[in-house]
Amino acid sequence: MDAREEILGRLRRVPAPTLEPRPQLPPLPELALSREALLERLMDELTKLEAVPHRVASMGEAKEKLGEILTGEGITKVIISTDEVVSAFDLIAWGKERGISVYLPSHFPDREAFKRAVFEEVEAGITGADFAVAESGTLGIIHDRHQPRLISLAPLVHIALLPTSRVVPVYESAISAVFKRGKEIPSQFTFITGPSMTADIKATPFKGMHGPRRLYVIIYDAQEGEK
Amino acid sequence: MKIRTEEFNTIAKKEITNAYARAFLGLLPPIIAMRRVQVMGSFPDPDGAMALSRAIRGESVARLPDLLEAFEQNATQNGAKVLWARDAKEAKDIILSLIQERQATFVTKGKSMVTEEIGLNEALAQAQIKPIETDLGEFIAQQLNRPPFHIVGPAINVPVEEIRDLFLNQGIMKEDTTDPVQLGYAARLFLRDKFHHIKVGLTGVNMAVAETGTIINVENEGNIRFNKSSPQTQISIMTPEKVVPTMEDAMHLARLLCRSCTGQKISAYVTMDTGPKKADEIDGPEELFIVIVDNGRSKIYEDPQTREVLRCIRCGACLNTCPVYTKIGGYPYGWAYSGPMGQILNPLLLGLARTQDLYRACSLCGTCKTICPAGIDHPALFLYYRALDVKGDEKFRGMKRPWQERMMFYLWSRAVASKNLWQLSLKLGRRLMKRKAMNGWLSDGGKLLPGWFKERDFPTISDQTFREKWQALKGGTYGRP
Repeated sequence: MDAREEILGRLRRVPAPTLEPRPQLPPLPELALSREALLERLMDELTKLEAVPHRVASMGEAKEKLGEILTGEGITKVIISTDEVVSAFDLIAWGKERGISVYLPSHFPDREAFKRAVFEEVEAGITGADFAVAESGTLGIIHDRHQPRLISLAPLVHIALLPTSRVVPVYESAISAVFKRGKEIPSQFTFITGPSMTADIKATPFKGMHGPRRLYVIIYDAQEGEK
Repeated sequence: MKIRTEEFNTIAKKEITNAYARAFLGLLPPIIAMRRVQVMGSFPDPDGAMALSRAIRGESVARLPDLLEAFEQNATQNGAKVLWARDAKEAKDIILSLIQERQATFVTKGKSMVTEEIGLNEALAQAQIKPIETDLGEFIAQQLNRPPFHIVGPAINVPVEEIRDLFLNQGIMKEDTTDPVQLGYAARLFLRDKFHHIKVGLTGVNMAVAETGTIINVENEGNIRFNKSSPQTQISIMTPEKVVPTMEDAMHLARLLCRSCTGQKISAYVTMDTGPKKADEIDGPEELFIVIVDNGRSKIYEDPQTREVLRCIRCGACLNTCPVYTKIGGYPYGWAYSGPMGQILNPLLLGLARTQDLYRACSLCGTCKTICPAGIDHPALFLYYRALDVKGDEKFRGMKRPWQERMMFYLWSRAVASKNLWQLSLKLGRRLMKRKAMNGWLSDGGKLLPGWFKERDFPTISDQTFREKWQALKGGTYGRP
């Protein structure tokens, strides 16, 4: 008998107990918040996590803020995702004006070349976020060809662009949209809550253990026709 | 890792005098406990939230075979390859040949308790494949060749001077520093290069979702994300009970897991993988293997009482609250799993005989049971193990007690159940005890009660018991109507 049959067979040998009903919980308080209150909550949670949120009024201002952050960090080489949020900004042209080298995943012929860039060359990764969960200041990112995994992971700085319309109250709001029945599930969906961290030596907490040391979130209102 | 569960007492006696470790144990658990209470307060009904996570784990265990099959089917449909292993050896063979077929000379690992359980690192090293732990604490513990001190902070007790010397010796760092942050960054740089060039990444699994075939990892450092993003091949290793019914259930469990573990609302990264990368993606694994290792779980499942152990989600809350663990730390438990979690799990996996002290080093205070988000009744299990052990249970290899002791308890149980026998044995016992006693106290039980007298004495039966006095009085002044 193969291992699978044997293990499942043994598990099935015992009669399953009857299930007790699950307790009913009051809904999470975030579900009752207005969009404005959700945004405030998101900003609060991000700040507590030592991420840096910026709330701006428009895409134009978001671009300005992005420039400020890069200047402040002294960054001149970035890689960007090509999801619909980032694409709408046309950052290639913007980078040319400002003297910032902007790489796209499609600039690289294969995994190795791409990895060399994210591990060794660029100083920041700029991505869109598919969701921002107010509950805990969490970004939800769907990984696909436009959103490679390493852009928000390997560079020392991660800057996320977030249209206000993408703020949701709780994890379940994001999950039910991503794992919808009958829809293709992404190969990876990631929740990012603050910069990478550890406290494994002497219980001393610090940021940027393996992933980004700093996380900026630019939250903006998208105007008519913008994403 | 050498299994040293038999040496519990010896190691505990040594560790209890380790001032450095004691200072940590005195400080850290209360801080985590306080943070936990604080974040639990974000639920409108914290008790209800605990009740729900317990119900989800209860249901996951109850429906285990069905959920496992559904998980396998959905994961496979999404392109993952699910492999099954009966025991540690089979699992190691499977993992080893997967790595060898891909000609990897080293692999990076995310923290995975089950790989410690099956001794994967030793097997890899023997096959000339270098296993590199990438969780900072685990990275340090691995090089010091020590078991985890704590499930969440495996090397949190190691003095910075020791880490400095280690890093300097191993060439991980050039600069002489004892700053924890600088030490961390040195490890970061060393491991970053490994992440860049890995062919095969190994991870554990926190939850496997039946509904979608998704595996979920919960972490703070980002090392698991690297293991699932950079290499062409990802091997994720899990035991059957990691399965949960739905994504929604997984979200609620993640809330409870992180709150119970570190007092965070959620950890920095929660990654949900459903199959390998799609053809047009530039990173992520081209092949995703999920190895389901039974290693004794289906045997544990057969007994409705031991089955409860499979609810555990490895949050570590029971360690931080245990009055025994918080004095001795993780080393005395002698294996991958420590604290109450290890005390319920190790005896079933290793046998009751060689884990004697594990289920006895407990005052049955029940604080572990109170804090457990999975709904495990640890003290009830300890009592059950003690009973199985005394009876010499075959399935879990109980030791049985010496025949003299068993005989004595048999006689005891007969005597206390009958008035006349009890009176008679008191009279006999009084005479016997008097012969052996010193100043009215008995301090040696011979073969009848080995160990009982180690830390206490027993008063001899008095010349006149209360009942005898009462009888005498009834016949005397006070007894008269």
